[in-house]
Amino acid sequence: MAVPVLEVKGVAKTFDRVVQALRGVSIAVNENEIVGVVGENGAGKSTLMKILVGVYPPDAGEWYYKGTRTSFPKNPNEAAKKGVAIVYQEKGVIPALKVYQYLFLGHEDKYMKFPRLATTEMRRRAREITDEFHITCDVDQFMYELPLSTQKMIEIARAILGLRLEHGNDHAASVVILDEPTAPLTIEERQGLFSYILDMKKTTSFILVSHMMHEVLEFTDRVYVLRDGSLVAHYDLSRESVTEEDLFKAIVGKTSFEHAARDEGPAVPGEEVVLETRSLTKRGSYYDVSLELHKGECIGIFGPAGSGKSEIVKTIAGLMSFDSGTLMVKGEVARAGEEPHVRLTRGVGYFSGEIERQLFFNWPVKENISIVNIDKVLRRRGRIINFNAERQMAERITARLKIRTRDVNANCRSLSGGNKQKVSAGRWFERNPDILLLEDPTIGIDVGARKDIYEALKEMKSRGMSMLLVSDDPKEYSILCDRVVLIKNGRLQREVDSREFTEAMST
Amino acid sequence: MKSFSNGAKNGRARYLLGSVKKQPVVLILIVISVAFSICFPDRFLTYLNISSIVSQFVTIMLFALGPSIVAAMGSMDLTYIGIWMLGGIVLWRLTPTLGPAAILVIPVLGVVTGWLVGVIQVKAKIPSFILTLSLLVAYSGLTSLLSGGYPRIVRGYEFITAPLIPYVPTELVWTVPLIGAAVFIMRSTKVGTYLYAIGSNEEGAQLAGIDVQRYKILAFTISGLFTGLGSVIQFQHLGGSVPLALNLNTMVSPLVAIVLGGTLLTGGSGGPDRTILGALTYVVLYRGLYISFLSPEVLQLLTGLLLVVSVVIASRELRSVIVT
Repeated sequence: MAVPVLEVKGVAKTFDRVVQALRGVSIAVNENEIVGVVGENGAGKSTLMKILVGVYPPDAGEWYYKGTRTSFPKNPNEAAKKGVAIVYQEKGVIPALKVYQYLFLGHEDKYMKFPRLATTEMRRRAREITDEFHITCDVDQFMYELPLSTQKMIEIARAILGLRLEHGNDHAASVVILDEPTAPLTIEERQGLFSYILDMKKTTSFILVSHMMHEVLEFTDRVYVLRDGSLVAHYDLSRESVTEEDLFKAIVGKTSFEHAARDEGPAVPGEEVVLETRSLTKRGSYYDVSLELHKGECIGIFGPAGSGKSEIVKTIAGLMSFDSGTLMVKGEVARAGEEPHVRLTRGVGYFSGEIERQLFFNWPVKENISIVNIDKVLRRRGRIINFNAERQMAERITARLKIRTRDVNANCRSLSGGNKQKVSAGRWFERNPDILLLEDPTIGIDVGARKDIYEALKEMKSRGMSMLLVSDDPKEYSILCDRVVLIKNGRLQREVDSREFTEAMST
Repeated sequence: MKSFSNGAKNGRARYLLGSVKKQPVVLILIVISVAFSICFPDRFLTYLNISSIVSQFVTIMLFALGPSIVAAMGSMDLTYIGIWMLGGIVLWRLTPTLGPAAILVIPVLGVVTGWLVGVIQVKAKIPSFILTLSLLVAYSGLTSLLSGGYPRIVRGYEFITAPLIPYVPTELVWTVPLIGAAVFIMRSTKVGTYLYAIGSNEEGAQLAGIDVQRYKILAFTISGLFTGLGSVIQFQHLGGSVPLALNLNTMVSPLVAIVLGGTLLTGGSGGPDRTILGALTYVVLYRGLYISFLSPEVLQLLTGLLLVVSVVIASRELRSVIVT
């Protein structure tokens, strides 16, 4: 077998002397190959990628470029000289620039005709590049005028171009890291992007970091699976046949399902339907979704990232609109385009694990809890806050959810990630809405905090709260849900009960 | 045991240090007050100078109250000078027909302006800074138009600042309850809490079930009300006349007070109570430099530099926050 373009061996990285992000990981990338890297959030994928492009220095490890050992890059510029570049998940594109300006951003000095830029030359070269990479666009168009998938293609082209300019050679072997390239795209746009990437494979190698199992299985040649900072599996897809379930199990760990087993029988959901969708459709995200959520029931919508599951939840929360279909909350029709505050008055709460979106970090814990429950701490007359009641409410919640904080006046920013998330959960524990939407409720937090949040959620459920869960963690469905609806490419598939789901995932 | 008490002591020291860090302006205020008193003992601590400080403090606070509410919500309201000028000239036009009741036109103008700014800002989704700046320019033009080209003096409202309590300027007597009301709204009511929430994390406020648009409009309306009520006092406080030219210094001083007090113009912190400190610090510094016989040009230069420094200090808190 040929020598890999890039190979790293035994890469280790520890943050703050405690958190072992990587424990001796080795991966290799061959010429003209797409390599997949998958793993849960916090498994070490992004740390590894950041080491490859010189954002972090590794604690240990070896770096080989075409079989010769050299040192790790110290910054992204040096990584580019070594032939490695990255296209981040978001914020890479500058919408206000024209295509040719964006392509050469940071390399303008190569096209200077002092004192001005040789724009004619840049345009001509840019047109050559878009032709070479089969991107259909006019180089004088603004980036924001183009569809997201085309923007992503141009971003990838720019990364490759950057590598070539560093090498001064159009045919130097190079590696481009794609971090969740399809996350913001619609289902149709994803196909387009991948046929483009497959085409580019002739000249460039790719590392694809993705949560979307079907993409990884369909388009990569080999897959590395990371879990808790270690390499736990490596599949050569040209030799072995691997299913999405195999990948899931490798990512999550077979044994973890045993811990996740429910400690009680499924609660008996009430007859009353509290939330109903009929043929709900948002073009590009999900189609024809019909669901019935009963009182005290938890339904999971399970599918790979990008299957439309989180868009369904966001729609019900009022963060997205829908094109057609009906949404009924407690027997009343909820129009498309209602804001979250309207949905909350209907009884729909939204709890996401992305705490930085939900919490007020520069506020004390108590106010973060009372903001959702402010009507409970207002004096009878006027809209004046009873600060005593506010503090007592917060103290009750911090004790109940075991939130570890100096006191309820402590700034929320000073809390650990898990405790921040508990504060966010505590809001809803106190508010007690009829329906709580859960999106990745325990993303990126440690096992202990997870357990506390699950317990709180179960208690809320036993009070009669209904829940709808989407998550990237299959264990969570086993723990929380009464039944699970499978979704693929924006369409609901079959429905399984919680036991079936757990069995399917753990055998 | 020893280490425990040590730790507690450390904790208390750190707490004190922390609160000074949170309000570095308190320290600055004390230091400059002491410094000026020592340097100019015969000029700084005089009745004349102190009443000037109070007078200037009143001017700045009356203009800064409304905007500091809006700033805590993460937006900007620059219309205060416009409301004061336009309100004055409309008053000049209406007084002959309506008599003293015409004074109510200023608060009404304030509320209408604030509401209008709120609605336009929310519906058109444009930055409030540029919107209120444009409106300020328009109001200034309208003022010139209505005045017929001359600064006007309006008589008949001297009762507003007529002496009430010996040695205490009546302007201050009226200003204090206004400040109290603004602080109360922001610190103790649901509305205030919601406005801080929007300023701290607009998406978070939305996800917490707050009707962000409605409260934004409300914030500008409240701001307009305070500016309107303040302008009634301000109008007589500044001599009962209506100027025709925008005075840069009058416009910028309230902003300096807001930022110096620690209200980040990106929102979520500060508010009217912090602005009191900011205004006081600014005025003491200004008067202190003034009595040291610096020329007005140098004073203006220093005002600008002070704004830069206070923004830098205030935004240190923001290090880990993404400013959008």
